[in-house]
Amino acid sequence: MSYQPNTYYASRRQQNWSRNQNTTRFVSSVKLGPVAHTILVALMITVLGLIYLTQATRATGYDYESQRIDSQIAELSEEKTDLQIENARLTALETIKNSAVAREMTAPANTEFVE
Amino acid sequence: MKFELHKGSRSRILAVAILLIAAIFVGRLFYLQVVQHDYYVALAAEEQQSRFVIPASRGMIYAKSGNEPVQLVMNQTVYTVFADPKTVTEDREIITSLKEIAGGNTRPEFEKLLEKKETRYQILATKLSRIQADKLKEKGFSGIGFQETSQRVYPEGALAAHVLGFVNTEGVGNYGIEGALNDELNGKDGVLQAVTDVRNVPLTVGNNNVRIPKQDGKNIVLSIDRSIQSKVEQALVSAAERTAASNVSAVVLNPKNGEVMALANVPKYSPGEYFKAEDVAVFNNNVISGPYEPGSTIKAFTMATAIDKNVAKASDTFVNTDLIRVEDRTISNATKGITGTISFQTAMQWSLNTGFVTLAQRLGNGSEITPAARETMYDYFYNKFRLGQRTGIELANEASGTLIAPNQPTGNAVRYSNMSFGQGMETTMLQVAASYGALINGGNYYTPTLIDGYVEDGEYKENPQPEPAAKGVIKPSTSNEIRQMLITARAAGFPGADRAGYSVGGKTGTSQVVKNGQYSTSETIASYVGFGGANEAEYVIMVQVSGKDREFQGARDAMPIFTDISNWMIEYLKLQPKG
Repeated sequence: MSYQPNTYYASRRQQNWSRNQNTTRFVSSVKLGPVAHTILVALMITVLGLIYLTQATRATGYDYESQRIDSQIAELSEEKTDLQIENARLTALETIKNSAVAREMTAPANTEFVE
Repeated sequence: MKFELHKGSRSRILAVAILLIAAIFVGRLFYLQVVQHDYYVALAAEEQQSRFVIPASRGMIYAKSGNEPVQLVMNQTVYTVFADPKTVTEDREIITSLKEIAGGNTRPEFEKLLEKKETRYQILATKLSRIQADKLKEKGFSGIGFQETSQRVYPEGALAAHVLGFVNTEGVGNYGIEGALNDELNGKDGVLQAVTDVRNVPLTVGNNNVRIPKQDGKNIVLSIDRSIQSKVEQALVSAAERTAASNVSAVVLNPKNGEVMALANVPKYSPGEYFKAEDVAVFNNNVISGPYEPGSTIKAFTMATAIDKNVAKASDTFVNTDLIRVEDRTISNATKGITGTISFQTAMQWSLNTGFVTLAQRLGNGSEITPAARETMYDYFYNKFRLGQRTGIELANEASGTLIAPNQPTGNAVRYSNMSFGQGMETTMLQVAASYGALINGGNYYTPTLIDGYVEDGEYKENPQPEPAAKGVIKPSTSNEIRQMLITARAAGFPGADRAGYSVGGKTGTSQVVKNGQYSTSETIASYVGFGGANEAEYVIMVQVSGKDREFQGARDAMPIFTDISNWMIEYLKLQPKG
């Protein structure tokens, strides 16, 4: 013989409601079925996915920006090197020796030292 | 209707079949995703990730102009223009543009290379500057590509070529500093491993990105002074023309710290165009790689040994008969007639072999070059003056030379009698010059060096003053006496050659060349080693003149080169006369 409970307990909330007849509860007139729920969940997942993609794309965008700046730095540094080489060539001993000013110079006939 | 899978029913068979298929799928997925996990991850990484090498810049090399570093070797990015003839459509425009922009950088008959439509890669022009490459890129020709490479450039041209060496097409340093300090100059390439997009642009997404920064090569500042180097090269070129010698070499160093101020050889080459050299022998640095019998320049070392061992003084005398017998050999003087009782100072001035063989005998029992005398000479020559051993200078291909020890079968009295005047031994010019520094600076030996400091982040960081590698190799009094002997010998031998008011000394050397085991009678090498300054020596200069089947003399051919450089050095270093 099995045990059959014959006493049912109502929750306090249910008891209150039954006691306070003025208590109202909002009940939407729009009823959503299981299909609508599924679509809503799918939409939410899509939105979350889009948010993730937006963030990932933004990070990638920074990569492109960084790449662009790196290229610019490399280009400027190359230009700087070219200018340094040009400067070194213009100040090279051979260039100075062959300059018009140097050609006009003469060796001192005598050198005197002052204490 | 009650749905049941009856045993043997079609539904039950279908269910079992589906379960089996599902099990196969699960099993396969398990194999691929779990068992083969690492393999597929690696495959995916290979597909999604790229590995980039971040090339390290080769260090630059500087010389000094006074106290300021000036670039001798720099790096420049140059471009190679290549074509894929199969995809090239604007042949005529490309040819015109290349002729206009690349000019002399184009390959010979590059027009024909474009016609080889069955090929996919043809180099049209090399070593284009950035400006030239940019102009060509602007044209936007299809099928034309550009490859960047770094090359060494030499703003001072061929200056100090033998000190520098060169970098070959594979980026490896050969000869000189480039060869000796290749690893230090090369640096270490960096690595970037990252997920890339379709255009191969590295992205930050992904967890396995690796970035190892590059380490650029060191920027080395040499102790070479470009003005002194230029003067020395000029003096050697003039001397080569005057004497018609095929090889002329010189080294200038500071006896107070061993720093090499100039080092040059003629014939020279241009490191930027090393591939144009017709004979690879031109790359050899005779100052460090060409050991030879230094001849009478060694007499100063024999004299210093004798003074240091208290067996002789400059004013001591001996009887010169122009001949001296050592065992079964007779040694004679090149200069004859200065006979009778003469001082060792006179022997030094006239470079009389007999005087120095006498000194070697006095290091023994007075009449023979005993084993003890030979041990003493070897100790001074090899251990103290470091003749016959590499100096350790930062240059590739340094030779050691040869100094026969007395315990070797050929290290007999005859050998050591020859060594007393610089024969029967082989040294490099640098060894002799560095040891002369110790002879005249008070007796401290400095290892010759070319490195004066480094440029880091654009700032010149000078090395601390070098310490002597060996202190007191001879007594200060010995150094003072030998210095005075060499000044006196020069003043007497070449009066009026030097500027008045300065202490300039030196010693000539004329050495016979050994050919087929015999001293040649038709070929001699001329040397001169000397020093100069006011109250103390500021520089040591060694010069050598040689040529195949040519007879050169130290006093006639090498000494004038020393004088030319020495007098110029006095002005350049702004040395005030004594007193």
